[in-house]
Amino acid sequence: MPLTKQDVAGIADYARIALTDAELDEMTAYLNDAIALLDPILEYELDDVEPTFHPIGELVNVVRDDVVAAGLPLEEALANASSRRGRSFRVPAILVDGGVA
Amino acid sequence: MMARLDTLPARQVAAGIAAGDFTAVEVARASLDAIAARDGQVQAFLQVSEELALAAATRIDAARAAGEPLPPLAGVPVAFKDNMNLLGTRTTCASRMLESYESAYTATCVQRMLDAGVIPLGKLNMDEFAFGSTTDSSAFHPTNNPWDTRRVPGGSSGGSAAAVAAGEVTVALGSDTGGSIRQPASLCGVVGMKPTYGVVSRYGVVAFGSSLDQVGPFGRRVEDVALAMSALVAGGRDRLDSTSQDCEQDYLAHLDDPIEGRAVGIIPALLEAEGLAPEVRAAMQEAIGKLAASGARIVEVDLPNMANSIAAYYALAPCEAFSNLARFDGVRYGYQEPGCTALSEQLSLSRAHGFGVEAKRRQMLGAYLLSSGVYDKYYLAAQKVRTLITADYQRAFAQVDAILMPSSPTVAWEHGSISDPAALYLSDIYTISSNIAGNCGISVPVCLGAQSGLPIGAQLQGRAFADATLLTFARALERACEMEGAVAPACAGKGGEL
Repeated sequence: MPLTKQDVAGIADYARIALTDAELDEMTAYLNDAIALLDPILEYELDDVEPTFHPIGELVNVVRDDVVAAGLPLEEALANASSRRGRSFRVPAILVDGGVA
Repeated sequence: MMARLDTLPARQVAAGIAAGDFTAVEVARASLDAIAARDGQVQAFLQVSEELALAAATRIDAARAAGEPLPPLAGVPVAFKDNMNLLGTRTTCASRMLESYESAYTATCVQRMLDAGVIPLGKLNMDEFAFGSTTDSSAFHPTNNPWDTRRVPGGSSGGSAAAVAAGEVTVALGSDTGGSIRQPASLCGVVGMKPTYGVVSRYGVVAFGSSLDQVGPFGRRVEDVALAMSALVAGGRDRLDSTSQDCEQDYLAHLDDPIEGRAVGIIPALLEAEGLAPEVRAAMQEAIGKLAASGARIVEVDLPNMANSIAAYYALAPCEAFSNLARFDGVRYGYQEPGCTALSEQLSLSRAHGFGVEAKRRQMLGAYLLSSGVYDKYYLAAQKVRTLITADYQRAFAQVDAILMPSSPTVAWEHGSISDPAALYLSDIYTISSNIAGNCGISVPVCLGAQSGLPIGAQLQGRAFADATLLTFARALERACEMEGAVAPACAGKGGEL
């Protein structure tokens, strides 16, 4: 069943992308076309096939010794932020009217 | 000695500096001069880093004057796709989201080129966040194909391919998630290589699809690409990229080995595929004939699941993109919507107004495909199809050392002539499967199209971590054709005298 505009509004909310009404229409058409492009993989019988999540098999976590090393200096880490206060990134309210904004 | 920079192989640039025929500063100025004369038409660059270039060149000249040994690519002009961090430049990914982002550090691939002595000329245009195959989705301006400026250079690394094809720089780096090095290389008539996944560090390259992305070089000669590859792997595994492998080697060592008796695979069904332009098909048949005349055995192979690689890719890549691009929240860096009173509003509006249309489309598709109840149907199934595609390659590479196919079904098309995103996605049919399997591929210009007069590249694909063997076959194909070192005619010779 094709995605409806209401479905797509829900996806946009989850993806944290505010779409206008006209953009929702365009995105609904796009997503239904793009999903139709995926149909060939639904034709496969894949019960006995293991997934390959990564082209390099047997990847292992890479860790280093737990010793203090130089990181990005604070001023440089903050340099690209649009809004800061002192040593911190500054954001608007997270909680509004007693709930999550 | 008078020379034109755009005629010189990288090796001769470095040798000329070492011999005192010209200085590195003169080379840097020649490259800047060529960019000034040519890039108004081509628009490959987003930033030209004149100060960094002259500073690097001055260091090389000082090292030579002090009698120090020069690194292998000393003085070679190079530029970088704008998804690669380089201190002293912005890294924009051709997006409003990162329009004013100043690189906080230098990517390993860029640093290794700098360590090899290159002169950094700047940052190159691309499709926004590498989503596309035209470079038209750049938020700043399109790039024009140097062979015909009404046409696209391909993408997403279109700026990298165009800058090399125009003779503005000798080598450029790009990245390839589904064909984004090989397709623009083909459309611009230059050599472009996607190494095996894991050969080149991805540290400091803005991520699109983390299990698919790979950085690689463009050049006008296979030898220049091999030299860049040697620089990119120098130092071995990068501890800053946990998927990076130790592949340190000299890719020139076997470059000119003969291919007599060695097997090149072809897939007859692919050469009859719908949508393949007749002049591209003819060019492939000619290339096969030339490899056979060079002594290669031509062997028919099959990749039965390749036709479904586009479906698998568009079930996987958007999911990885959605995950990776979640970091662009407008808080730590990137565009921030002004005047918001709540964080959630700021996130959603910053992302809505910072990202362009295609970047939003891909993330929306990824968000849907990863949602509860949908994940198993498409994403997990696609990872299983990936197993089948990888197994196809393993069977084929048990029989042959390389597989030849087109890089792109057509030559470069006119800006705006394909507007349907799904139609553009289908144009990646020949390149996408090697990203899914992780093996290596390279596009080598073989001729100009009989109808269009535009460059056509043949793609060679090789087995995983046999990148040196792939380069040997690419060099053999280059020797057999007559495109080595070609600069787009409208650009050749404009500025850039040494």
